[in-house]
Amino acid sequence: MHYDDIQAESAFGFDGNWKDFAKIALPNLLLTIVTLGIYRFWATTRERQYLWSHTRFVDERLEWTGTGKELFIGFVLVMLLFAIPLFGIQFVSQALVLRGYETAGVVLGLLPLFMIFYLTGLARFRALRYRLSRTRWRGIRGGSDDQGFTYGLSYMWKTFVGYLALGLLVPWSMTSLWNERWGKMSFGPHRFDADADSANVFARFLLFYLSPFVFVIGGVIAAATGGLAGYGIGGEEGAGVGLFTSVIILGLFFYVGLGLIAVAFYAKFYREAVGSTHWKDLHFGFEASTKDWIMLLIGDVLTVVLTLGIGFVFLSYRHWKFFVTHMEAGGDILLDELTQSTTATARHGEGLLDAFDIGAI
Amino acid sequence: MDEAFQASAQWYDGHTAIRHEGEAVWNGGDVLALRSSSGDTDVPFTDLEYAEERAGELVYRRSSQADFRLILPADLPAGLASRLPEKQVYGAWVDKLGIGKATAIFAAVSVAAVALFMTAPEWLGPRVPQSWERNLGDAMIGDMGNRLCHTPQGDAALAKLLGAVDPAQQKVRAGVANIGMVNAVALPGGQVLLFDGLVQDAETPEELAGVLGHEVGHVRERHVMTALLRQFGLSILLSGANSGMGETVFGLASMGYSRDAEREADEYARERMAESDISPLGAADFFERIGGDAEGEQNAVIGWVSSHPDPRERAEAYRAAAKGKSFTPVLSDDEFAALKSMCEEDPNVEEFDFF
Repeated sequence: MHYDDIQAESAFGFDGNWKDFAKIALPNLLLTIVTLGIYRFWATTRERQYLWSHTRFVDERLEWTGTGKELFIGFVLVMLLFAIPLFGIQFVSQALVLRGYETAGVVLGLLPLFMIFYLTGLARFRALRYRLSRTRWRGIRGGSDDQGFTYGLSYMWKTFVGYLALGLLVPWSMTSLWNERWGKMSFGPHRFDADADSANVFARFLLFYLSPFVFVIGGVIAAATGGLAGYGIGGEEGAGVGLFTSVIILGLFFYVGLGLIAVAFYAKFYREAVGSTHWKDLHFGFEASTKDWIMLLIGDVLTVVLTLGIGFVFLSYRHWKFFVTHMEAGGDILLDELTQSTTATARHGEGLLDAFDIGAI
Repeated sequence: MDEAFQASAQWYDGHTAIRHEGEAVWNGGDVLALRSSSGDTDVPFTDLEYAEERAGELVYRRSSQADFRLILPADLPAGLASRLPEKQVYGAWVDKLGIGKATAIFAAVSVAAVALFMTAPEWLGPRVPQSWERNLGDAMIGDMGNRLCHTPQGDAALAKLLGAVDPAQQKVRAGVANIGMVNAVALPGGQVLLFDGLVQDAETPEELAGVLGHEVGHVRERHVMTALLRQFGLSILLSGANSGMGETVFGLASMGYSRDAEREADEYARERMAESDISPLGAADFFERIGGDAEGEQNAVIGWVSSHPDPRERAEAYRAAAKGKSFTPVLSDDEFAALKSMCEEDPNVEEFDFF
């Protein structure tokens, strides 16, 4: 019986380094530029090969088996099947409005918006499915037999309901969609399951939700005191300066403060979501604190700004490293039972909507 | 056994996650023998594909079994390495060419593609079928309806003028539009409009012949399609603009032709006028006049003047064409008068609403 107990150390590890990654990312950038962007599908694939192969899970590295060609074909198909028809509909609806059929035109004009809404959910599902099906560990891959069409509908109504009650149900829609998405994925013979509970993130969400009110009320008081203080020091002119300073501080608070609180909520949400995800007898965890996320974002900005923009090629590296180094897993894996996934992987058809490869996990 | 033909190896069969550890040995045949305590496998070399290099190891796949993985140390003994598939770095094409060469070729192809795209109006414009352009023109402008001025005498005079500068069997469609601006346009689909303002401004019929000939030149030399493509991009071929008509006419009036196109249209006008014995001096006068008071009357003539070559230069070119020749009047005084009073006397003509 082959048996792995992975309590000993962190189950996930990353041993890439940015210099090696640069040898991939910079030629990629060059080739992408000289091919007017067409190489980017192969560039993405090469980057992922590097990142995956330097990621260790327990005692074996991951392997990325996706190809640039299938991403490219997926992109072309999406263009043909969705982008051009959507453009066409927009055009026809404008023409209808101009020719006096306002209602028909407006209805037709709204259709693409609904389609894009639906496709966003569908794409999110498909991207995750694609990544799992192209990830090998010990020769075994993941995937899903679900096409994601019902998930697309769920995405629409849950997001809608989430914003309905003054946005108070947003945490519920986020956790519920996470659970639904991961519940349909599998790796090898075993399904994932997730039972993230929005109650655990609701307090953080309220912080995010209520802070604008607190800021405004606090700001008004601060402005008044600032104005008064200024008046005390420099009369009317001083009051103006004091008021002005207070307003600037208020503005800064609003942008920076609210951004920080949003990050705090997302950090909590991500810990809850990953922490509630299981795979057979394995449970996962994500250990990044709000501070870690903020450091990541500040690092991103500095990476891009200090290199006059070229550093953006390192962002995927930074994000993957952040993700892997904060991932934890515990429990047992029975290697004998870990047989090959039987989920469908159409060789190119899979690429259909995977071209919408927007942040899958 | 020779050390050069064996290496330590790990493999996964693709059915379970169990790792096999042992040795890969080449005995001189067409197969690589994988030996371990957990089982032996023979893999034909032709079945092996290179997958990737990862921290000190090379990974190979089997084409017959998608999920089979063979992991060998990167510093393979030479004998074994010679039998295994070659490494790939950038993908098949780039690897074959080498990155420097591939970059150069890609860049050259891309520059050519961009150049082809950017110059599309110039080479594509004249090749768009006339019928297509006509449909497009009709879609953009629609029916001019009563916005063009018509009287029997005026129409006859205009037809005579047009005949002089457009000798082709199938004439362009010409009309006088009820617009007070000093301007004239060539519309897509071979339609030329003289604005009534220009007709009123003209002191001799020869001036009108010059302007009309110039616009006909734009139509005959297929400049209109080129300018349309430049203005609206290639999408015009698929769609046709569908905004309000007045706006379209305005857009077309301010549409820029290149200086070369203007010169060609001028040359066309001069040639036709020479053939028909029409004096180019009228056109020369016209250009001198609009050149002289372009500043004072900027709004009225901007469409005509802005993208055109220097009026003085053009006037000289027309004047030069007149040297040492005698001409016959293109229209009689009565005909010219009929043209001038066309809009005033047409009882049905409508105002031309722009917006």
